[in-house]
Amino acid sequence: MARHIAHRLMISLPVLLGVLMIGFLLLQVVPTDPATVSAGPSATKADIAAIRLQMGLDQPIWLQFFKYITRVLQLDLGRSMISNRAVVDEIGFTLGPTVELMFASLIWAAPLGILLGSLAARRHGSWIDRAIMALSVMGVSVPVFWIGLMLIQHVGGAGLLPFQGRDGPLWTLAGLKSIVLPAVTLGSVFVGPVARMTRTSMLETLAADYVRTARAKGLTEWKVTMHHGLRNALIPVVTLIGLQIGFLLGGSVVTETMFAWPGVGRMAVGAITSSDFPLAQGAILILAIGFLSVNLLVDVIYAGLDPRIGSAGG
Amino acid sequence: MVKRFVATAVVTAAAALAVASPAFAQKTVTVLREIDTDKYDPQKSTSRSGGEVMYMMGDTLVNLDFDMKTLKPGLATSWSVSPDGLTYTFKLRDDVSFCSGKKMTAKDVVATYERWLDPETKGLVKWRMGDVDKVTATDDTTVEYKLKKPFSELLYQMTQYFHTIINIDQAKQLGADFGVKGFDGTGPYCFESWTPRDSTVLTKHAGYKWGPAIYDATEAQVDKVIWKIIPEENTRVTALQTDATAVSQYVPYWSLKDLIADKKLSTTKAENYFWSYFIGFKVDHELVNDVKVRQAMNLAVDQKALTEAVTFGFAEPADTMLEPGVLDFDPKLDKAKYGENTKTAEALLDEAGWKKGPDGFRYKDGKKLAPVIYGIAGQFKEVAEAVQGDLRKVGIDLQIQLFDATVAWGKLATQEFDAFGMSFPYVSAGDALNLYFRSANTPTPNRMNWKDKETDELLDKGMMATDDASRAAAYKAVQEKLHDAFVWIPLYHEPLYVVAGSKLKPIRAHGNYGCGLYKGLGIAFK
Amino acid sequence: MSDLTLDLQEGGAPRTNKPAWHRLLKDPAAMAAAIFLLLVVGAALLAPWVAPSDPYASNLRLRLCPIGGPRCPGLLLGTDQTGRDMVSRLLFGLRATLMLGFTAVAIGGGFGATLGLLAAFYRRLDTPIMRFVDVLLSFPPILFGLAIAAVIGTGLNGLVVALCITAIPSIARISRGAAQQVMHQEYMEAGRSLGLGDMRLLWRYLAANTWPVILIYMTLQLGQAILLGAALSFLGLGAQPPTAELGSMAADGRKFLTIAPHVSTLPCGLIFLLVLAFNVLGDALRDALDPQLRQ
Repeated sequence: MARHIAHRLMISLPVLLGVLMIGFLLLQVVPTDPATVSAGPSATKADIAAIRLQMGLDQPIWLQFFKYITRVLQLDLGRSMISNRAVVDEIGFTLGPTVELMFASLIWAAPLGILLGSLAARRHGSWIDRAIMALSVMGVSVPVFWIGLMLIQHVGGAGLLPFQGRDGPLWTLAGLKSIVLPAVTLGSVFVGPVARMTRTSMLETLAADYVRTARAKGLTEWKVTMHHGLRNALIPVVTLIGLQIGFLLGGSVVTETMFAWPGVGRMAVGAITSSDFPLAQGAILILAIGFLSVNLLVDVIYAGLDPRIGSAGG
Repeated sequence: MVKRFVATAVVTAAAALAVASPAFAQKTVTVLREIDTDKYDPQKSTSRSGGEVMYMMGDTLVNLDFDMKTLKPGLATSWSVSPDGLTYTFKLRDDVSFCSGKKMTAKDVVATYERWLDPETKGLVKWRMGDVDKVTATDDTTVEYKLKKPFSELLYQMTQYFHTIINIDQAKQLGADFGVKGFDGTGPYCFESWTPRDSTVLTKHAGYKWGPAIYDATEAQVDKVIWKIIPEENTRVTALQTDATAVSQYVPYWSLKDLIADKKLSTTKAENYFWSYFIGFKVDHELVNDVKVRQAMNLAVDQKALTEAVTFGFAEPADTMLEPGVLDFDPKLDKAKYGENTKTAEALLDEAGWKKGPDGFRYKDGKKLAPVIYGIAGQFKEVAEAVQGDLRKVGIDLQIQLFDATVAWGKLATQEFDAFGMSFPYVSAGDALNLYFRSANTPTPNRMNWKDKETDELLDKGMMATDDASRAAAYKAVQEKLHDAFVWIPLYHEPLYVVAGSKLKPIRAHGNYGCGLYKGLGIAFK
Repeated sequence: MSDLTLDLQEGGAPRTNKPAWHRLLKDPAAMAAAIFLLLVVGAALLAPWVAPSDPYASNLRLRLCPIGGPRCPGLLLGTDQTGRDMVSRLLFGLRATLMLGFTAVAIGGGFGATLGLLAAFYRRLDTPIMRFVDVLLSFPPILFGLAIAAVIGTGLNGLVVALCITAIPSIARISRGAAQQVMHQEYMEAGRSLGLGDMRLLWRYLAANTWPVILIYMTLQLGQAILLGAALSFLGLGAQPPTAELGSMAADGRKFLTIAPHVSTLPCGLIFLLVLAFNVLGDALRDALDPQLRQ
């Protein structure tokens, strides 16, 4: 167990370093001189030189990288080139809405996926199974932006639900209403994968010895499925849902952009297209770190749940 | 730092909660727009998205009527100009206070201008103040604005949001965060919160009663205005159609027909609004330094078809550089010079020595007539492609290079291109001409490299004029000169429409700096 | 790709025996997908010859002409926002999108497959290679897209690089799993005792016996690569206008969804069908070849 966690941490470190390098690189490749940009349009040559010194742009690159890491550790991610706000502040604004959106999508998509998956596994080979699997493969194949476009056009356009951004936090009525369409959009691409995972996992468990024993004891098929099948199948499913946060993240960048949802993903896209490198760097950094932490957490929980993991490498 | 991070998050959540709590008795209006501003500091932001909110949060000494020509009292009840045009004396209202409750006096006016003049502030567009000698407060309600050189534009410039009077104490206290975390002005609405790229929330300024007489009301008619960023065109249009309390001037051309036809909504057009699209030439560049070539290019472009296609016919095709409704416009210009006439265009090019080669394009001394045009990606793309198609017909191979907005301004300051595409707002002929055609303003904003002594002299004359007639005469002379030199291809003059939801009264659109809601006093429920 | 991780361990030894192909031929969905893909790839390859007009020739007077509109006779699927023929743009868009997917999976997947083979063949390389793969796998694919677009700028080049990188790790894992099973086979031992060199063993024995499995997973990966590419283009980080690419066409056209829905819906639908076909075919191939899922 401890070894497993240590192992996961070991993997996370180079990933973190990689993320930091990308973040650092982003600040290096600015097409226009960062000192000139941050000095503003009315700056003189002397101003720019002063800022260059102040930003440490004259130092060797490895030292700059080291300093960059130190700054990041102190949560100093620099200032946005456009708004001149601290990047950390900007992320503070956007982190909440993104987490909210992911939560609201997971909360309905994961149970629905598990339900459909176990239904398919129980009726393995029947038309229900085939229908659910067909639906789920469609779910994996549909571009998330298409679902969003259709929802905006037909549900939003009919005046049924708001779609023009976040009207408040999740626990207020206005906030709740405004999150429905984005969460439906984002969650809908998640149901399919979860259903497929559950089905495969259930089929494996249902074929296991202890389930056969349970059946032999004369338990009803439903009880067997629920008590032995689902419960044991859920461990890998829950883990995989955690690991699929990356998949969800991909969808959330698109969903946020479409629904004017003020989250990290939309900020990242906006920062990249407007060449606001410090902000882009901060957004990518926070997305990667968030993803890493969730992965790590899920992994640790999994290791706790499943005793077999203890010794196996990865 | 961690604390600060957490604190920011908590404050955001609290602010968002405050926004969300449905105050049923409150009248809330949502204004939809496309992009956010960089900051709300009148002296440091030149974006329209900053301006339109600052007009509501603050006041200027002088206001502009809907005709874009008549000056109206603002924070100043009256003013006088000395015969030499050097000293302006403003008499201020005595009943004005900032949102914070602080009373506004002549000292605040002086402090506002001193901040803008201070090199430390790194303020932008200082030319909009004229060549200031000194701004002083004679008493609490009198301000003396002294110039080193006359500046006939001054009162018009003073209606621009850059001249918004701010509470200097707050600006000093907030430092770099002024206009980011807070703004204290005397306007009909007060700054409540700003979440970048999402929304800016304004609340009614209690006790405000000094709105300009151009409106029916002198105070705000709604309790809260939420400026919301919705970048997606389609989403914005659908939102306007479904939200009864939404307002927007950022309506795409393709949707205007439906929106105007929609009986639930009210759509108004600004009677006077000056925002023009043009292509400018670098007049000293080899390919376009011949006036005949420039005229030919002008004649090749079919403004009517282009405007119809790009703006669905909602913009006005241009045959002069400036909008005919603008102050000091010269109505005597020969408009025929700019219409579409490919035959004459071909003849002019032949005359200039550019002969058609076997590939259909024109050559001279082995050089191809393939001028490079720079522009900002976005709507200009369609315009550029349409122009490219028109020029191809007369044998000119226009090379289009578009850049993202952040990179583009740097690129447009170089000498790498032969022509460039742009659009700009202006308040008067002098405003536009002084900006673009002074020799001293090369390479930017005088990207044309138009260095002409006579032009400079005329511009000086216009600027220093102390009476309207001589100012107008000088600027008209400049217009004639530029018109005949074909330094631009005027494309079209943009319209400004304001659409309001079914629960709202129609909002008369104002044209000032393209900020259709201007002071926001026209926003009211039915 | 979603449940790839789950099946990683079960990427069995290749069995290109008859029953497998028979099973595939009897699966109507898979056959439909295969036929559809053949048609689509054919059309994409022949786009320059079969497209009725230049996909970049705009005619502003014909802009946003609806499908079968009287304004534009002869233009089967109408025109887009600058009056370009939708049929031609869809064909060229398909070509660009498929090229993107194929390039990414061929280069990224090829690199990943080689890594997997090496990891299985050389024990001492196993740990470092698989750690590297783990690191890559720890990045959500969209982040590669965002990061690369930020570093080298938006455009097709960045998109291809991002898609290549995202294809590496999962294919590497699959190929390692499959190769490990082959390593246990007797003929590998036999080959070694015959004194065959490493290169020969690697390519003639190991690679030759693992490629069918790798290929199947590449098919599944193709669908994902296309979907990711479309999403990035949609966000404005991929193909830039006027390039005809399905994702950016869908993005460009969405402004006019109300007045001309076909401009965005057609490319969207085509992306969906394309990815669906790759997924259905990939699933069927995997089921046919994977003994574990056969009941």
